[in-house]
Amino acid sequence: MAVGAGILRVPKEAKKGEIVKVQMVITHPMEPGTRKDPQTGQIIPAYHLTKLEVLFNDKTVSVVDMGGGVSANPFIGLTLKVDESGIVKIAYEDNKGGKWEKTAEIRVV
Amino acid sequence: MDRRRFLQLSTVSILSLTFAPGLLKQSFGASKLDEELQKRLGVSLSQIKESPEVKLQAPTIAESGANVPVSVESDIPVDKVDSVWIFVDNNPVPWITDIKLSPMNGRVYFATRIKMGQTSNVRAILKMKDGSYLMATKEVKVTVGGCG
Repeated sequence: MAVGAGILRVPKEAKKGEIVKVQMVITHPMEPGTRKDPQTGQIIPAYHLTKLEVLFNDKTVSVVDMGGGVSANPFIGLTLKVDESGIVKIAYEDNKGGKWEKTAEIRVV
Repeated sequence: MDRRRFLQLSTVSILSLTFAPGLLKQSFGASKLDEELQKRLGVSLSQIKESPEVKLQAPTIAESGANVPVSVESDIPVDKVDSVWIFVDNNPVPWITDIKLSPMNGRVYFATRIKMGQTSNVRAILKMKDGSYLMATKEVKVTVGGCG
């Protein structure tokens, strides 16, 4: 998969006031910038996600800051209290200026 | 130099050679984590207290350091918590990630996967809104390092 592609997983339906899990996996090499290429001995330049924002109906839920210490193709899980139907959005960027977004819908039943 | 003096001196030098590298390495590791804590949080390790209210889950033995699952949980109400931080003592960069929480999270929970260069303590630190810090520590043994 291409760098920056993401999977965002939320339950389709929730009860009002329920706390649900929001889980995501993003395709990214997460190169920390401290590793050396074993063949050339050159330091591999840093290339990793720096910030990921989770929004629900355009209100910020959480902001994750990360560095090269997070594993390749990072997985992030957090919780969300659902008071109304709406759209979960994740917006993330890397240190080379790449920016991506991904959305999923939760319906209150 | 008589024989007794020679033996004493050689014992001392052998002992110092044996223990000095370990001591140096240990103090270096601690200061690097402390430096990082000062830079990121503005406090030193001695100012952060361990708390059973912070629950840190991580494997005791990780076969690959490239992908170590960790999760942090707490029953403390989320509106009292500002953010969750994860540090690994012996990594080239001890700071791994931090997440800012809001009441919309509903509860204190954060899970991710991290890289570990070698066997080390993993620390989860909760920054409270009142300016205090709570911490949980767990040692993870790493068989194969994941930081190059």
